Amino acid sequence: MLEHILQEYQTHIFIGMGGSGKTEIAINIAIKLKEKNENVAIVDLDVATPYFRVRDKLDELKNNNLRVVTPPERYLHADVPIITAEVGGYLVNPKFKTVLDVGGDEKGATVLGSLKNFLDNSKRVIYFVVNTKRPFTQNENNIKKNIIQIEKKIRTKIDFLICNTHLKNETTNLIIEEGEKILENVSRETNIPVLFTAVSEKISDEIETKFEKFPIKRFFKDYY
Amino acid sequence: MEKVLARGTEAIAEAAIRAGCRLYFGYPITPQSELTEYMARRMPEVGGVFLQGESEVAVVNMVYGAAIAGKRVMTSTSSPGFSLMQEGISYIAGAELPCVFVNVVRGGPGLGDIQPAQSDYFQATKGGGHGDYRLIVFSPESLQEAVELTMYAFDVADRYRNPVLLLTDGLLGQMMEPVSFPEFVDLDSLPDHSSWALSGTGMRREAHRVSSFDMDPVSLEKKNMLIQSKYKEVVKNEILYEEYQLDDAEIVIVAYGTMGRIVKSVVNQAREKGIKVGVFRPISLWPFPYVQLSKWSDQASFFFTVEMSTGQFVEDVKIAVEGKRPVEYYGRTAGIIPTPNEIFAKLMELI
Repeated sequence: MLEHILQEYQTHIFIGMGGSGKTEIAINIAIKLKEKNENVAIVDLDVATPYFRVRDKLDELKNNNLRVVTPPERYLHADVPIITAEVGGYLVNPKFKTVLDVGGDEKGATVLGSLKNFLDNSKRVIYFVVNTKRPFTQNENNIKKNIIQIEKKIRTKIDFLICNTHLKNETTNLIIEEGEKILENVSRETNIPVLFTAVSEKISDEIETKFEKFPIKRFFKDYY
Repeated sequence: MEKVLARGTEAIAEAAIRAGCRLYFGYPITPQSELTEYMARRMPEVGGVFLQGESEVAVVNMVYGAAIAGKRVMTSTSSPGFSLMQEGISYIAGAELPCVFVNVVRGGPGLGDIQPAQSDYFQATKGGGHGDYRLIVFSPESLQEAVELTMYAFDVADRYRNPVLLLTDGLLGQMMEPVSFPEFVDLDSLPDHSSWALSGTGMRREAHRVSSFDMDPVSLEKKNMLIQSKYKEVVKNEILYEEYQLDDAEIVIVAYGTMGRIVKSVVNQAREKGIKVGVFRPISLWPFPYVQLSKWSDQASFFFTVEMSTGQFVEDVKIAVEGKRPVEYYGRTAGIIPTPNEIFAKLMELI
């Protein structure tokens, strides 16, 4: 299913609450897209988070021959929201598969509203990333509330849910199972299908998932 | 206990709520805005009050007012915002009011940048505002420790009727770790402040007066000396520190907060090469564990201070060591975090 969606759509948009793991999923999807596509761009649209963003992994991404779109270098650490004009260009360029990493919460997602004209002309798919071990997304009601608020901000519907439940190095089979169960309930009530469950490649072999398993590299590791 | 994946700022906020804090006043500033945002979402869920002031100056005075009412109250900010709060903090300390401040330090001076730093050490421990007063200052190395110290900070603030500061930095504030939270403190079990708080006389008693103002120098001096005797008790009872691999150490690395954690991996690296080194990590920065650190000068050939500032913390280490051994320093500033390899290389240079 994931494979099909990746080929089908041109623009892949990742949103979610702050700290849900959007950036890690977006990077992994971009790398995955690169396997079968010549031109892949990843766009850092995060205007909400000060650290641990796509731009903090620039070298790693460039090594994968991905086109990385960030604010200009001299403004990389500026505490102001910058969306470069070239973003729109990538969204409507049929030669590119483009991944958008959008900032956390409804305020981060507001950025998408500003790109609406481009997005309407692009074959795009919107994913909502959830880690049920994060504050404010630990149960069905909370998650549904967030989805409603974010959909209002981005002025369109979310297409897929992504289960990214984990507790860093303390992740267990049970934790992921519980996360999938919560998202399954959310999915039933919102009619938004769960596309896949992300699992760290380090433990991927030991973990069984209900939804399609997508092994990912965790880029933001423990700090010492 | 069930764990959540929390950011440092979120962990501190939730810990404060569990400690019985139902009053939070704040103003957003990177890299601690998530703490303010967390409180905005969470306070309505627990029947608390969240209020965003029009500036940090307004906020500190809201904290002052709420603390006078005898309730657990907190604010959080980052370096430039904490500078703005200094006047109010001096008033709060002078009026002897319990409350908790959080400073998630970023690069300075001035507007500086939004990356992690430890360059507010002097301001935190030597008095950023005017007058003879002290903040009690704790600095955590991990999110779990931040949770424990935040909850403890409220108890200490109540015990001494003095503001307590949790001093941390952007790295700890933004990093995510699995954290478990203690149970909620029963609000009815919180310390009774009815003997001094402005809680309404009900026309049954004399009005309480809480102020830092006194026109009579003699009575103000008397009051100041009482506060000083309180500080002596703090020094006697509230010193916290950690010793890591010090038993046979010939070199003592001294660092606090996030740096205190990073240097532990330097110690592990050095020990693999047979170098006998350990870490002394003050957890309370005021009161500073002078005596406890000084003890190691009998055994160590030198002390090595590492900090994310240009040489502030090292001054307290020198006071502790009293010239008995050399005190070396390594630091980065402006939001650059020294890497373990960098610190290890410097250590090898010193040997």
